Amino acid sequence: MDVFALFLQGTVTLFSDPIGILIFFGGVVGGMLFGAIPGVSMLTLAAILLPFTAHLKPEHGIMLFSVIYCTGVYGGAITAILFNIPGAPENAPTAFDGYPMTQKGQAGKAVGAAVMCSALGGVVSCIIMMAATAPIADWAISAFGPPEIFALVFFGLAVAASVGAKTFWKGWLSILLGLLVAVVGLDPVGGIERYDFGMPYLLAGIHFIPVILGFFAVSEVFVQAEKKVTGAYKAPKISVDFPSFGELWAHKIAVVRSIIIGFFCGILPGIGATLAAFMGYNEAVRWSKDRMEFGKGKLEGVISSETANNAATGAAMIPLLALGLPGGALTAMMVGVFQMHDMEPGPLVFINSPDLVWVVFAAMFFANLSILFIGFLETKTIINLLRIPFQFLAPMILLLATVGAYAVRGLAVDVIAMFLAGVIGFFLRRSGYSVAGIVLGLILGKIGEQTFAQAMQMLYFEFGGFFGRPIALGLLIAGVLTLAGSIYGAFFKKQPQSQSQPQPQSQSVS
Amino acid sequence: MNNSRISYYVEAALWLGLVGFLYFHSFDFNREIEIYKYGAAAWPRAILILMAIAAIGQLIYNITRANRVEAGMMASAMDDGSEENARDSGNTGLRWYLHTALLVALPFVYINLPKILAGTSDVGSPELNRYKLICAGVLAIVFIILAWRNHVGAVLALPVMFAAMLQDIGFYALAPVFILGVMFLMGERRFNWMAAIMFAIYTLLMLLFVKLLYVGLPTGYVRPFYDFGTWVVTVLQ
Repeated sequence: MDVFALFLQGTVTLFSDPIGILIFFGGVVGGMLFGAIPGVSMLTLAAILLPFTAHLKPEHGIMLFSVIYCTGVYGGAITAILFNIPGAPENAPTAFDGYPMTQKGQAGKAVGAAVMCSALGGVVSCIIMMAATAPIADWAISAFGPPEIFALVFFGLAVAASVGAKTFWKGWLSILLGLLVAVVGLDPVGGIERYDFGMPYLLAGIHFIPVILGFFAVSEVFVQAEKKVTGAYKAPKISVDFPSFGELWAHKIAVVRSIIIGFFCGILPGIGATLAAFMGYNEAVRWSKDRMEFGKGKLEGVISSETANNAATGAAMIPLLALGLPGGALTAMMVGVFQMHDMEPGPLVFINSPDLVWVVFAAMFFANLSILFIGFLETKTIINLLRIPFQFLAPMILLLATVGAYAVRGLAVDVIAMFLAGVIGFFLRRSGYSVAGIVLGLILGKIGEQTFAQAMQMLYFEFGGFFGRPIALGLLIAGVLTLAGSIYGAFFKKQPQSQSQPQPQSQSVS
Repeated sequence: MNNSRISYYVEAALWLGLVGFLYFHSFDFNREIEIYKYGAAAWPRAILILMAIAAIGQLIYNITRANRVEAGMMASAMDDGSEENARDSGNTGLRWYLHTALLVALPFVYINLPKILAGTSDVGSPELNRYKLICAGVLAIVFIILAWRNHVGAVLALPVMFAAMLQDIGFYALAPVFILGVMFLMGERRFNWMAAIMFAIYTLLMLLFVKLLYVGLPTGYVRPFYDFGTWVVTVLQ
């Protein structure tokens, strides 16, 4: 059957089931709201919902998460633009030009551009995803073994470390700290307990959901709380002024460029949409004639980063479904949904449950499209959220996070771990480390170690064995080049004295 | 200038201290695995060695480039103002850090002290529960005294305290106090508003999680809070 027929079939399956429709619209609205409300993100919502997906059909559970992913990546743009708080790291570069636009009183225009470009980037990405995932899964079954997956993880982490934090060293320290947290618990080969210090809680390993909630929701509240307590919290000027289609048409090259960049970055493990947004922004600055305007409220900055991050959402599903490798925190939670139903994501999903795949693909397509319609309506509601004083929002966010962390395993210790992660995240952020990097290291650490061990066993403990595997070798070389590029940048590149304008950082992502 | 230099050394020392501590403890599980020649300790040790290199690299970078401003695109984009904010608020001195550390340590006193005093960790023991109530009361007073001068530190510590007491006192009884505490520490002083918002958030959470989604939140072990928690659940469900 061709792709279009499968897509139609998925659409019919999705919209002929009342429960499916309910979950779809719940996900669309929930993703947007949680992405938009400062201090909570789609990850908070996903974490809270994760335990309940056990009661849903697997296709509904995965569909819900993929819908939240699409609309949440857009919803995060709104807080990035209005509050300078990216709802997720994916939206960080959006804040870079979006927030200055808010300060200039052009918040409405920035949000409008984010709505249109998110929908556009997401829809195009979905179409490519539908066409490409199944062939890639077929290819992966034969071409990808543990050495390739290890090399992919290494490459993803190398890129993440180079772009995430204030300095190259802090980027690496963040990633390594995450990898170290992933070590706690049983080792993946021999089942030997590591760093449990006699505590049963640590023996089970540190769960990534409390850590993610702590770093992204709780530490956000703490940062805002410090501003509030010390009186530095500024309410932005509000206006509603959507960009005209002419204005967007003028940026058509930026849109196409960001879709291409976003899609290819989305395929990378671990960093997906985050790298996409950064690279999309980076390239927009590099290609622009007036780079000095970036960072001061240029519409193209918002367009390039928002198109790219939504373009990555479809692409991020490819490694998850074709290789079984999560592309980020949310796709990692999808792995959790699969596991709760005794399923493993990976190429076999296409053979065993094609229905699930096509319902999810159809849902993602329509979720991206719905950003256009609900997005415009909802933006007005979201602007009202600005009027809620943060001291009223903070206890709500902290309690939602509490319920989310507790609901995962019913352990009060998880709540303590979450708030401690929040405190640690607060101090790390104040010192210029990357909390996103830590979470990435945590998620990919287990897969990295496991595939490394399997690869070494496969290659008879000879590192030279990688030379016999061109894909793995290529990825490892790309990772080393990325590292070399950022080391070169850290030591030899001239550092400008002022911090007023952004400087495109050279990256050898090949 | 001098101050920031000290902070660079402290930062490096913290990282290297962590590396040293964990490297030392990696001998606890440095066992052979029959099918895997590198053993269980190789991976964490490789991470720790890289971490030490990165920490030293960061220190050298800071010292040699102390006057330069890092202006990478990514660095600026990742900047959420939290650093600047920390400098502006003056919450960077050693005294502030120690004070905050003391506040964050209080919950751990609560977790451990009653068990030591009662000589048991059996949750059903009435004696342990009595000690827990006394400890909770005393620590709450200590917390308020310490929080008076350091609201930011208290905002960090209050959720940890809340989490530590969650299992014993229960979500239902603790949440209202927590909501009021967070609002107060964040500068809200209009008590009518605080009461109204507290009621609104509590009702919303209860309806959503207890009535609609049936999330089993901790009811607590210690009476009378346990009775209150179960009463709320019975009324709603």
